Amino acid sequence: MTVLNFLEALVEGASTAERVGAGRIVGGWEYVWAAYGITWAAIVVYTISLWLRGRSAQEAEDSR
Amino acid sequence: MANRVRWAFFLVAIAMLCVGSWLALSWAPPDREMGDVQRIMYVHVPQLWMALLGMTLNFACSVIYLFRKSWKTDSLAEASAEVGVVFGAVGIALGSIWGRPTWGVWWAWDPRLTTAAILLVAYCGYLALRRFVDDPERRAIWSAVTAIVAYVDVPLIWYSVQWWRSLHQVQSSPRTVDPQMVLVLRWQSFAFLALMVFYIWTRYQIAMASRRRELAMPEELTTPAPMPTSEVAR
Repeated sequence: MTVLNFLEALVEGASTAERVGAGRIVGGWEYVWAAYGITWAAIVVYTISLWLRGRSAQEAEDSR
Repeated sequence: MANRVRWAFFLVAIAMLCVGSWLALSWAPPDREMGDVQRIMYVHVPQLWMALLGMTLNFACSVIYLFRKSWKTDSLAEASAEVGVVFGAVGIALGSIWGRPTWGVWWAWDPRLTTAAILLVAYCGYLALRRFVDDPERRAIWSAVTAIVAYVDVPLIWYSVQWWRSLHQVQSSPRTVDPQMVLVLRWQSFAFLALMVFYIWTRYQIAMASRRRELAMPEELTTPAPMPTSEVAR
């Protein structure tokens, strides 16, 4: 995708949704929110897990 | 300096994911068939790509380890497998959520879904094996062999939608998809890639610290580790 395509897509942003319509499946936002919620929750939990494990590994090395 | 670069990857990834979430939820157009539910694609697909990338890195490290033993490649294999499992588990969970409104079921034993589930189970087994073997060298060899066997499933996952046409759709091409959708998918893919680099880098450091600790206390091992300890020295 060229820069021109990108700018073209950016300008067309709002109008495309109107052209395409809402789709055959109407609604379903609760599934979308659940998916994004799980993604962000997993990022937070795994980052904290790595941070805690990294810190305890560092402490164990420092105490040697 | 290396630590700053590592955290820079994390900050860039989080910033990109914030922008990407906005693009995916409000800027990208709804799908002609699936409507707004299709927006799940922007988190489902990149995470499963990252999972497959993690497993591929794990496979490469495992093959290299068998030819040229190194604690670094063993630690990188461990790190990439764990990160791959995290992305894979979340990706499959999101696929299940997407399946409910589009297929009417949370799960189906479709070839793509089945091979993805097998991959997750196989790599959970790989990680369990690494926890249960005390001797670092024996653990490294056994897990490298296990990883090579488990990786057979990765091409099966990729081609399953082409070989056995079933419920899951085949891979889309940028030529047949709205440019806005392609843009958001690519943006999210690079965001998750930056996050994966941070995760693997951090997990690799933890694994190397663990190797150093194990080799510094050989009396805790069932058999002495014959590999030189200089490689894991700080």
